[in-house]
Amino acid sequence: MSLRNPKLLLAIPAVALIFVFMILPITNMIEMSFRTPGQSEPFGDDYTTMHYDRILSDGYYWGVLGRSLLTAGAVTLLCLIVSYPIAWHMSKAKGLKAVFLYACIASPLMTGVLVRNFGWMIAAALNGPLNETLLALGMIERPLRLLFTQGLVILALVHVFVPFMVLPINNALRNISPTLIEASSSMGATRREVFRDIILPLSFPGIYPGMILVYVLAVAAYVTPALLGGQMVSYMPTLIIGELTGTFQWPFGSALAIVLSVSTILVVGLFTALTSRLMERSKA
Amino acid sequence: MSEMTHTFSNQKPVNIGFGILIVLLYIFLMAPLVMIIGASFTNGMMIEFPPQGFSWRWYVEFFERKDLVDGLLMSLRIGAITAVVTMTVAMMAAMAGQVISGKLSGWFQLGMTLPLLVPELLTAVGLLFFLYKIQMAKTVMGLQMGHILMSFPYAYVSIAAAIRQVPASLEEASASLGATGWQTFRLVILPLVMPGLAMGGIFSFINSFDLYTISLLLKPLGGNTLPLALFDFLTYEFKPTAAAAATLSILLSIGGVALVQKLVGLQRAF
Repeated sequence: MSLRNPKLLLAIPAVALIFVFMILPITNMIEMSFRTPGQSEPFGDDYTTMHYDRILSDGYYWGVLGRSLLTAGAVTLLCLIVSYPIAWHMSKAKGLKAVFLYACIASPLMTGVLVRNFGWMIAAALNGPLNETLLALGMIERPLRLLFTQGLVILALVHVFVPFMVLPINNALRNISPTLIEASSSMGATRREVFRDIILPLSFPGIYPGMILVYVLAVAAYVTPALLGGQMVSYMPTLIIGELTGTFQWPFGSALAIVLSVSTILVVGLFTALTSRLMERSKA
Repeated sequence: MSEMTHTFSNQKPVNIGFGILIVLLYIFLMAPLVMIIGASFTNGMMIEFPPQGFSWRWYVEFFERKDLVDGLLMSLRIGAITAVVTMTVAMMAAMAGQVISGKLSGWFQLGMTLPLLVPELLTAVGLLFFLYKIQMAKTVMGLQMGHILMSFPYAYVSIAAAIRQVPASLEEASASLGATGWQTFRLVILPLVMPGLAMGGIFSFINSFDLYTISLLLKPLGGNTLPLALFDFLTYEFKPTAAAAATLSILLSIGGVALVQKLVGLQRAF
């Protein structure tokens, strides 16, 4: 390639946008987390590691961090369980039926998180459809208080992120050549064996990015716990925004955000290391 | 042969079970939207599904509420500016991206989609400090920049995909026939990528319209976007007016989905 191609100059506005309004600010946040607390300003002039010391030595923050990481893990696994059958079914559809199914995935995806969470508020009301269904099925004897529970937060987050998981898995499944499946079944493989040895490994290139994306976004999701989580339980994002907008402790809020990011990166790294063999198999 | 009859006899119940599962999963996906739309037409005083009777009164109430209507207008205005700016910048970036080859191309793609991959919360927190530093904190302009940044990847991905479909030979032919670079762009490339460009604009607009976290942190003095106004309304009032507001937002996204289907087809878009 030639770096002197004048067309490259067209990238300048986009690169500037992302560099100035994203990379610089996030770097700035790292610096902010080492600032001393301010008196009348939101931050002080000197540097310190006191915010990190405070977070790491206080069991409360470890608890909130653990809750956020575990909740996101549960959301990711449930998303996978919900998304795989949908993606499987979708990958087989053709024509108008496919258009309809894509529309069913795309419409929630293009509706705001706040609006979709609001839908779950209606569903979770004391005499709302969720309780009515559970009563009708005989699973409960009297209506449950569902609003402002961790379970509802997880349910709503799964709903938010399912499309993010369905689309990459669907694409991976569509890329599996049908002749491969025919060949292995004609060689005597049972349906279960075909699924376990061929389809599952070959859908991993869709499962892996889907899981990472959902996990990273779920850990940092703010609206859902803020709206549906109630006042009793804290998650890292609600804590961070509280520090920034409520008490104006910018350095402490930044340190919390960085602890959350580093933990997320560690979890993603661990997950990648654990699944690297599966990924190798999918390439073979 | 006996093996085949065996699989066949087994297939039916599995398929019915799977069919029921799929129907339940789609009900799960669509339920919140259906409940909101249903609840917005209630004739009662409470947000409930199924609704009590039928009426348009909560839509009337919505348009009489200044805070919600102001929020809607602000969201529409910011979304429109976001769409126009991101379409332009993304179109330029996608053309530049075409002449980058090899490994660098992958990095370029990654960089362009960064605002989508990094959690909105981090970007929002960083921007809050940064705008304060450059004295743009709590201004509409600052919020607008945040929306442009967060929506840019949606425009870029759609437009880059469209531009990749344009064969390079067309451009060469146009140039060899004496067209200037601008003429080639306007008369050859632009018409061919138009559907992708429009789709990028739609995605960008709808994403901006839906943004919450970044708007909360960057919100200008005295201004609210519709999601911010709706959150406050849900926290303090919780009347079916909220369902009417949310239904308008759902209709917008369904309209977007229909437009995308018409322009490029949903299967190619997602």
